[in-house]
Amino acid sequence: MRKIFLFMLLCMSLAITQVFAQTKTVTGKVADESGSPLAGATISAVGGRGNATTNAAGEFSLTLSPKIQEVEVSYVGFANQRLTVTGQATLDIKLSRNNSSLSEVVVTGYQTLRRSEVTGSVAKVSGSELAQKPIGSFTQLLQGKATGLQATGQSGRPGANANIRIRGAGSINASSEPLIIVDGFAVSETAYNMLNANDIEDINVLKDAAASSIYGSRAANGVLVITTKKGKAGKPELRYSFQHGRSKAQELKNLKLMNGAEKLQYEYELGYTNPLIASKIQAEITAGRLPAGTTIKNLPEAQRTTFWNDLISTGAGDWSTYLLQNGNTTTHELSVSGADDKFKYYLSGNMNNNDGILYGSFWNRKTGRLNVEYAATDWFRLGTNLSVSHTKENFVRELNNTQNLYAAIYRFNPYEPVFTSDGKYNNTFQGYSPIEGTINNPDERQRISTFSSIYGEIRAFNHLTLKSQLGANYNTLKRESYSKPGSNLANILGYNSKTDQGNQDLLYTFTNTANWRQTIGENHSINILAGQEFTKDKFYSYLLTGRGLPSASFTTLENAGTPTAASTSRSEWALISYFANATYDFRKKYFLNLSGRQDGSSRFGANNRFANFWAVGTSWDITKENFFKVKQINNLRLKASIGTAGNFNIGNYDALGTYALSNKYFDLPAATPFRLPNPDLTWEENKNFDIGLEFAVLNSRITGSVDYYNRKTQNLLYPVNVSAATGFSSYVGNVGSLRNRGFEISLSGDVVRTKTLRWNVSVNYSNNDNKILELYSDNAATANSGSLNRLKVGEIANTYYLVKWAGINPANGKNQFYNIDGTITEKYSSGQSQLFPGKSPLVKYFGSIGTDLSYKSFDLSAQFYYSGGNYIMNYMYQIGANDGETKNIPQFTDVFNYWKKPGDQAYFANPLDASQNVTFDTDKYLEKGDYITLRDVTLGYTMDNKTVARLKYIKGLRIYAQGTNLWLSTKFRGLPEVGESNRESTSLVVPGAVTLYAYPQIKALTFGVDVKF
Amino acid sequence: MRKYSYLYLTALLAAASCKKTELDLFPYNQVETTQSFNTEQDINLAILGMYQGIRNSGSYYSGTWNIVADVLADNLIISQQGRQTLKTYGEWRYTGNATYGLFSGGYTIARRANAILENIDKFSAGTFKDNAKGEALAVRAMTYFDMSRVYSKTYQNAGPTDSTVSYVTSTDPKITPGKEPVKGFYDKVIADLTQAATLINSSNPVGSGIGSTNSRFNKASVNGILSRVLLYKGDYEGVINAANAALGTTPSIGTLTTFPQIWTDASDAGVLLKIKMTSIDNVNTLGTNYYQTVSGGIKSEYVVEYNLAQEYTSTDIRKSSYIQTSAFNGIMYNNVIKYAGRAGQPAGVVDAKVIRSAEVLLNRAEAYYRTGKTTEALADLRTLKLNRYTGYVAATDIYAGEALLTEILRQRRLELAFEGDRFWDLKRRNLPVMRDATKGENADGSGTKYVFSTLPAGDYKFNLPFPQSEINFNSNFTQNPGY
Repeated sequence: MRKIFLFMLLCMSLAITQVFAQTKTVTGKVADESGSPLAGATISAVGGRGNATTNAAGEFSLTLSPKIQEVEVSYVGFANQRLTVTGQATLDIKLSRNNSSLSEVVVTGYQTLRRSEVTGSVAKVSGSELAQKPIGSFTQLLQGKATGLQATGQSGRPGANANIRIRGAGSINASSEPLIIVDGFAVSETAYNMLNANDIEDINVLKDAAASSIYGSRAANGVLVITTKKGKAGKPELRYSFQHGRSKAQELKNLKLMNGAEKLQYEYELGYTNPLIASKIQAEITAGRLPAGTTIKNLPEAQRTTFWNDLISTGAGDWSTYLLQNGNTTTHELSVSGADDKFKYYLSGNMNNNDGILYGSFWNRKTGRLNVEYAATDWFRLGTNLSVSHTKENFVRELNNTQNLYAAIYRFNPYEPVFTSDGKYNNTFQGYSPIEGTINNPDERQRISTFSSIYGEIRAFNHLTLKSQLGANYNTLKRESYSKPGSNLANILGYNSKTDQGNQDLLYTFTNTANWRQTIGENHSINILAGQEFTKDKFYSYLLTGRGLPSASFTTLENAGTPTAASTSRSEWALISYFANATYDFRKKYFLNLSGRQDGSSRFGANNRFANFWAVGTSWDITKENFFKVKQINNLRLKASIGTAGNFNIGNYDALGTYALSNKYFDLPAATPFRLPNPDLTWEENKNFDIGLEFAVLNSRITGSVDYYNRKTQNLLYPVNVSAATGFSSYVGNVGSLRNRGFEISLSGDVVRTKTLRWNVSVNYSNNDNKILELYSDNAATANSGSLNRLKVGEIANTYYLVKWAGINPANGKNQFYNIDGTITEKYSSGQSQLFPGKSPLVKYFGSIGTDLSYKSFDLSAQFYYSGGNYIMNYMYQIGANDGETKNIPQFTDVFNYWKKPGDQAYFANPLDASQNVTFDTDKYLEKGDYITLRDVTLGYTMDNKTVARLKYIKGLRIYAQGTNLWLSTKFRGLPEVGESNRESTSLVVPGAVTLYAYPQIKALTFGVDVKF
Repeated sequence: MRKYSYLYLTALLAAASCKKTELDLFPYNQVETTQSFNTEQDINLAILGMYQGIRNSGSYYSGTWNIVADVLADNLIISQQGRQTLKTYGEWRYTGNATYGLFSGGYTIARRANAILENIDKFSAGTFKDNAKGEALAVRAMTYFDMSRVYSKTYQNAGPTDSTVSYVTSTDPKITPGKEPVKGFYDKVIADLTQAATLINSSNPVGSGIGSTNSRFNKASVNGILSRVLLYKGDYEGVINAANAALGTTPSIGTLTTFPQIWTDASDAGVLLKIKMTSIDNVNTLGTNYYQTVSGGIKSEYVVEYNLAQEYTSTDIRKSSYIQTSAFNGIMYNNVIKYAGRAGQPAGVVDAKVIRSAEVLLNRAEAYYRTGKTTEALADLRTLKLNRYTGYVAATDIYAGEALLTEILRQRRLELAFEGDRFWDLKRRNLPVMRDATKGENADGSGTKYVFSTLPAGDYKFNLPFPQSEINFNSNFTQNPGY
C-alpha cells in the first residue's frame, strides 16, 4: 500500500506544469432570505488568493486568478455558501440563516466537504452553542446539542469531563468514548478540559461508518472533529468578554436528611447510645449521679431531654454549610482576529477561575491560542494552530469515606459539633475531618497542555492538493501533595509526608494526504483523497516521596528526613495507518462515497496487528429530480451508509503474558505474575448501518432529519474470566458481540419569523436499544469486578443481577427475598441472584427541547435536556436508609417508616431485630434514572447595528445573564445525572451504575459582557 | 522548482515514519512469562515474589488475617466508636457476595509457587534447586492449609464427603477445578511440607537487620508449620517430631525481657517465620485493623473481650505487650496494642508473625498430653509460663489430668490472642463460639453488648462461603452447604 502511495506522489509531482497568469472579475450583491442587503459579508476565493467585503448596499467586486473556480460567501449568523465562478460573472447571492444547514461545510476526517457531499451521518455543533458557559470541559457542554450524542457529566467537579456515547455504548470494557480530533490530530482524554470552548469554531460529530471509518481502528464509538477559529476576512476584530457567576451544589431530590432532633429520636427508638451520649452518661456515672450500666434506654426522660438539647445546641446542624461552599467563576477573555489575502490570524487569551462547590476546591485555567495561516505563493500555504493551557487545581478527595467532603455530609451527624472545645476541627465519630484535611493536606495539581500543529499545503494541476501536517498534543501533570507536620492525618499515620509526582504524555500524529478534486463536464464530480499517518504516544511518569519534614513551612523534598520513594515509569503505543476516500456525484443529485483504512497497532497480539476498515455511503437529493414538483419542500435528501470501524482502547501491552519486576519484598526486587498472554487478542470491530432523511420545508422555516441506525460490535474487548484457582481473575480477550440500534429525530421550526421578532422551537430525540447478541464463551458471563451487572445474550449490556427483594413481612418485620423459583424466603442468599431484564445503567432515550426568542435587540433562549430508561443502584440511598445497620451516621427521614408491630406495611424492616441490621444489595435500591432538567437559560441584549454605528470605539456589545441547571425534575432519590461513582472508587467501572458520593453537579447563575472593538 | 523539493520532502518524511517495527513495543517494567525462569537470578526473584504475594494480600498477612479469627470468635468485641469494620465477620453475616478474600488471594500466592516448581527442573541438581523447590512447596502448602481452615471443615471433623478447595499444582490458565475431599487435601499439604523440610536450607537469609534470618522459610519454620497442620490432623506423634525439629533442644520462645520487643520488631526471639513489612512498604493494615490514634487517643475498631481481659494477670508480660487500657471520648477501653508499630516508624507498620516457637511449643505440649506424655506436656507448659510470668515458680505450678489440657489450651489462647488463631482452633476442637452476652465493650464490661453471642459447634457458618463469582463462572465448583 505504501509503495503505491509513494509512486502516486511521484507521478503527480513529475507532471506538474506551469500556470499562466490572468485575472477575472466577479461582482455581485449579497442579501438575506428576505432580500435585505447584508453589509460586511465576506467573499473569498476558494483555493487561492483574493477576497472582498460587501458595502452598505451589500455589493462587492472581486478580482480573481482565472484558475479560481469557486468563491465562498460568509456572514456571521448565516450559513456559508460556495458558488462556482466560471469567467466574468455577476452574482446575486442570498444567504440563509445558520439553522438551515444546506450549504454549510463539514469537516469529516481529513477533508472539508460541502454538506451536500456528505453521505454519512454528521451532526454539527456550532461553537456559539458552547461559548461562554460556566462549565470547564467542552465535553459536558455537548449535552443535548445533537441527536445520537449522549453526554453525561462524570461529576460536578470543576473541569470534569463528560462520558460521551455516540449512538449508545458500543463497547463494554474498552472505552466507549469517541475519538476526539482537534484541528486534524487526535488528543488525549486528559486534555479535553484544557481546551478553551470559546476557541471552538465548530464540532462535527461523525456518527456513522460513512463519516467515521476513515479514522479506522479508533472510530468505533464515533469521532468528534473539532475545528478551532480562524481569522475571517475584513477588518481586525478585537473582542473582550467578561463573565462572572455563582454556583451551588444541586440538592438531592426526593430525599431529606434527618435533623438533629429527628436523628436523636431515631437512635433512641433503636436503643443506640451514641458516643457523645455515652460519654455524658459516663461522666454522670463517674460523678455518682447515675447508676452504672445506664444506657439511652433507661436514662430518665428529663436527663435525656437535657442531653439532647445540649447536643442539638452544640451540633453543626446542616453540615453542608461547612463542607460545601458557594462557587465563584470568573472569566476574562481577549481575542484578536482578522485576515487579508496573505494572512489569516486568530489570537486569544482566556483566564478562567473556577471555585468548586466542595470546600477549598478550585480549578483555574489559563489558555492562549494562536492560529495563523500564510499563503506563501499561489500554490503553497502553510499554517500553524497552537494552543497552550495551564490549569491549577486543588484536588479534594473523592471516595467513599469521610476524607471526601461530600460523603462527610452523609457521615457526620447533625448533633456533632464542627469544632472541639479547644477550637480544632472535630474529627467526629468517623475520626477524620475533611475540612482540616483540605487545609492541612493540600493536593495541588497543575497541568500544562499544548495543542500544536504545523501544516503545509501544495496545490497543483488545478485539482490536486497535497497536505502534510505534524500535530502534537503534549500534556504534563505536576502534583504536589503534602500531609503537613502536625496535621490530623500525619498524627494518625505517625509521620508527615510529601509527594511530588507527575507525568509527561506526548501524543503526536504525522499525516500526509493527497486530494484530487475535479468536476468533469456538467455531470460528474469526483473527490479522491489518499493518505498515510503515523501516531505515537509516549508516556513517562515519576513519583518522589519523603517523610519527616521539619515543619509545615518546608515544602520541598530536600527537607525530608527520610526519602521513601523514587520511581519512574514509561509506556508507549503506536499506530501506522493508510487510508483513502473517494466521493463521486452525478449532477449533484446522486452521491457515492467510498472509504477505507488500514491500521496497524502495537497494542494487539502478534497474530492480529493489522486490520482493515471500510465504508460505503450514498445520498440522493430528491429535490433535484425533474419529477419532484413540490414547491413547499426546499430540501429532501435520502442517505444510507454501511461500513466498519474499530476500537483499540485497551492497555498498551494487554496481549503479552508477563512477570512484573516493580514489586518488592524486604525492599528487594521481586518477580510477580502480572498478566496472562493472549496472542490472538484482536480489534473490536463495529459494523454500522445508517439510513436517514433530511428535509426543509416552507422556505426552510421548518427543518429536520430522521435517522435510523444499526450498529453491531464484534470481538468485544473484555476481560475473559478465568477461575480464581489460576491465580488470576481474567485476561483481556474478545468475548462476543452486541448491537445498538435506534432512531434519531430532530425538528426545528421558526414559529414566528418577522423582521423584529423571531421565535424558534427545536426538539431532538434519540433512542437506543442495546443488546448482547453473542458471547463466545460463558467466561464473560460476570463482570470482572463487583457482581451488580452481568452480560447475558439477549439482554442489555451490564443488566443488573441482584437478589430480588420481596418487601417486609408484615407479620414479623423481617426482609423477604425471592428465590429464583419465585418462592419467598427470609434468608438472603447470593446464589439466588437473578437478572433484571431491561434494567441496566444504559440510557435508552434522551434529547433536548430548545426555544430561542429574539425581539429587536433582546433574546431569550432555554434548553431542556431529558434522559431516561436507565437504572441506577442507589448506594447513597442504601447507606442513608436501611434497617438499622448505619444508625450511627445520618439517615434520611424515610427510615422512620420501619416495621413496629405485626400488620404494619412498612418499607423498612424492624431495626430492633438484630438479624435485620444488615444491608444486602437487592433491587430495593435499584432506581429509574429518568429526569428532565433546564440545562441552560439565557437572557441577552445585543446592541443593534444602528446604535453601534453611533459609537466611536465599540463595534458591538452584548450583555447577558444565564442560568445552568436551575430546575430538575425526577423521581430518582438523589441526583440522577450519574457519571462516575466517584473519582477514586475506580473498581466500580460501569459508568452510571451506582451513586457513591461523586462531586455533585452544580447549578449556577452567570452574568457576562461581550464587547467588540 | 521549489515545488518539487517540497513534494519529495513530504514523500521522504512519509516513508520514514512508517516502519512496521515501530509497532513492536514492550513494557519497561515487565518480562514475558516465557523468559522469566531462565537463570538462578530469575528463580531468586520469583521466590521473593512468593513472599511479596503473602505480603500483598488483603486477606492474608498484610490484611485482616491477624484479626479475623479473633473477631469471628470470642477474643474481641466491636467498639461503638470505631468505623464498624469487619462486622460481617463479627456478626457471622458473610454471604457469597461478601466473603473472605483468601480464595483468590491464596491461589494468587500458590500460582507463584507453582510457576517455580514447573520450571525448577531446568536447573541442575544441588542445593540451589533443592532449596528453591523446598521454599515453593512450603509456601504453597501453608497457603492451601490456611485456605482450607477458612472455608472447610478441619481434618478431624470432616467426613469422607466433606470437601475443600482444589490443591492446584499447575499454572494452566484454562483450569476450572472442582473441590476435593478434606482428608486427601491435608495429606497433600503434609506431603509437601514433609518434602520441603528435607529439601530446604536451614537458613535463608534475606535483607539485613531484624528479620534477615527469618523472613523466608527455612527448615525450622517449615517444621513449625508442619506441627500446626499435624495438630489439625490429630497426628500427635507427628506433631512432636515436627516440633522437635522446629524447636531444637533448647526452645527459644522469647524471654520476659525480649518478649515485648518481638512486637516492636526490636527482637526476633522465637519468631520462626515472619513476613517483612518495611517502612517503605508502609503497610499499616496490621495496626489499623485494631485501631488508629485520633486526637492523641486510641480509637479502636475492636477491643479485648471483657472476660479475656481478666485472664491476663498483672504478672503476665503478655498483658502489657498486648493490651493498653485507655480512654477515648471519656470512656475506658482495653485496646489491643500488639501491632502498634516500631519505635519512631509509621504507626501500625510491623512485621507479620507467621509462626512462633511458642505456638510450636504449645502444639507439642498438647500433643504430648494427647499421647499420654503428661510429664513432657507439663514441662513444655512450664517452659512457656516461665518466660511469660514474672515471679513464676514452676515447681508449685502443678496440673494433672483434664486440668493440664485446659491450662495448655488457656495458655494457647492467651499466647496467640489477636494473632489469627482462635476461631480456627475452636473449629479444630469442634467447639462452639460462646460469647458473654452480658458484657459490653467498655473496660469495666459495660457498654454495647454482642449482637449475636453463640455459634453452635459444627454450625455451617464455621466454614466461610466461597466467592459467588467463582461459582457463577466455574460450573465444577459448588458453594459450601448452608449458603
